Amino acid sequence: MQPRHLILWALFAGAMLSLPQVASSGTLRTLIFANFLAIFAMSWDFLCGKTGYVSFGHPFLIGIGAYTTAILSYRFGVPLGASIPIAIAATLIGGIAFFLPALRIRGTYFALVTLAFMELMYQLVQVVRPDITGGTRGISGIETLTIGAEKNFYLSFTLMYVIALVLWLLARTRAGTALDAIHMNEEAVRGSGLNTTKLKLFAFATSACVAGIGGAFYVHYLGSIAPRALFDIGFLFTIIVSALIGGAGTIIGPLVGAFFLTLLLEGLRGVLPGTERYFVYGVIALVLYVYKPKGLYAIFFDLLAKVRAKVWGKKRGKKRARKHAPTA
Amino acid sequence: MRPLLELTGIRKHFGGIHACQGLTLRVAEGESLGLIGPNGAGKTTVFSLIMGEHRQNAGTIHFNGEEVSRVPTHGRVKRGIARTYQVPRPFGDMDVVSNIRVGMMPDSLWRMLAKGPDHEAEIELALSVGFAEADIHRLPGELSMGDLRKLELARALATHPRIILLDEVFAGLTVGEIAQMSALLARKRAEGMTFVIVSHDLRSLEPLVDRAVAMTFGRLVAAGNFEDVLANEEVRAAYLGH
Repeated sequence: MQPRHLILWALFAGAMLSLPQVASSGTLRTLIFANFLAIFAMSWDFLCGKTGYVSFGHPFLIGIGAYTTAILSYRFGVPLGASIPIAIAATLIGGIAFFLPALRIRGTYFALVTLAFMELMYQLVQVVRPDITGGTRGISGIETLTIGAEKNFYLSFTLMYVIALVLWLLARTRAGTALDAIHMNEEAVRGSGLNTTKLKLFAFATSACVAGIGGAFYVHYLGSIAPRALFDIGFLFTIIVSALIGGAGTIIGPLVGAFFLTLLLEGLRGVLPGTERYFVYGVIALVLYVYKPKGLYAIFFDLLAKVRAKVWGKKRGKKRARKHAPTA
Repeated sequence: MRPLLELTGIRKHFGGIHACQGLTLRVAEGESLGLIGPNGAGKTTVFSLIMGEHRQNAGTIHFNGEEVSRVPTHGRVKRGIARTYQVPRPFGDMDVVSNIRVGMMPDSLWRMLAKGPDHEAEIELALSVGFAEADIHRLPGELSMGDLRKLELARALATHPRIILLDEVFAGLTVGEIAQMSALLARKRAEGMTFVIVSHDLRSLEPLVDRAVAMTFGRLVAAGNFEDVLANEEVRAAYLGH
């Protein structure tokens, strides 16, 4: 990590941690959701943005984490200190199940299989042992980790920040470069002497682990779990759109996308209180995909290049921009 | 002398198309072999079979005395086989040195995570295949075909191969680029690298190979001295149609 990265990470932490001093509890609750959405979007991005294996079934992984800790703590009285790690471990196992189809298929077929995983999970929690899962109504009254918007904001932000930093550092290793290469040409990666199965398993396991952490903490923030909300296609698309708007394959992009999307929807609430605001967000997402498929992250670096070109001269600005441009 | 690479009775069909019909081929260590034949003869399929990108229906492939028929592609690369492609396959969003980095990576997740890339070695390899210093941070989309072929070769060399399979290494190159590539291959050959080279540019190929084999319709029809192979009637008929 270079000093300027350290400064940027520190500035980000400082700015976010000072927000509770100025923001209302309503705004903080919005930001708590943005933190969790950022975790889910980064989890999706580490798998799909990096390797190109697009998942439509990420709520399956989030659901394993959320349901495992909810059931263990609510039904069996397991303390959260144990139920959350067990939930994360269970999500890892789910991630491996998720990985098996990727050994044989990719592209649209893989995406559809993952969608089937989500649907399977949705049906299972409703039909199999509803006395434990809560069936269609889910479970409410789940123990929360802390109370109040401020404390929950600190908790969710710390979690999101640590996950973002770890994923960002992982993405900058040679393993991260290899995952990018798999996205671009998997056969050429094998031809370079790398075991792509092992690399993909690493991406799936990491993504599942993050989804499990996010799911487990999210359910203990909400204090309830409902299958219709968790396995809703709208929730899935919010995760994917966050990652794409921000800039898939960049880790930081999905984080930015999650905050942009959450704040945009909240900002629009005042003007368009109904579901029309989803139309506005749809249009913005569409325009971004068409004109800037690499998202807000790329827009930021393009602007940075222009500023640098003006300040330091064209050549240097372009060279620096290329060096820091997203790789996928 | 034990061959470095040995294909015995290789058969491969794609549905009703027989790409290889009982092909037997031996390449000695340090040898440079020209593999020629008209389009559709099965030359690229032979490369894909040697790399394990396709699996043969019958026959065996030995490398350095070990049967590798069931070894996956990355395992064959680790043993010392590398290839380039007829249509270059660079990692499109990575610059030249990052492309080379992928070839240089150890196949160990822990080492990938624990240790950063060796920038000096990456740049040295890029420069050694003829990249200008100004081009090593260019994206593949900004490179000429000559540079793309150099990039393919550099990525192959990065895996520390004992044999390199070059597929249509001169295709799409200008006269100057062909001369540059020929000089580079001649240098590597002098250093002891083993090559199997597929090319339609027979004039450029001739000085780079010790001997040649010719294929048509998945069969080996001639082998031996380059001139003798070209003089073979079946080879002439396949190339010239008479």
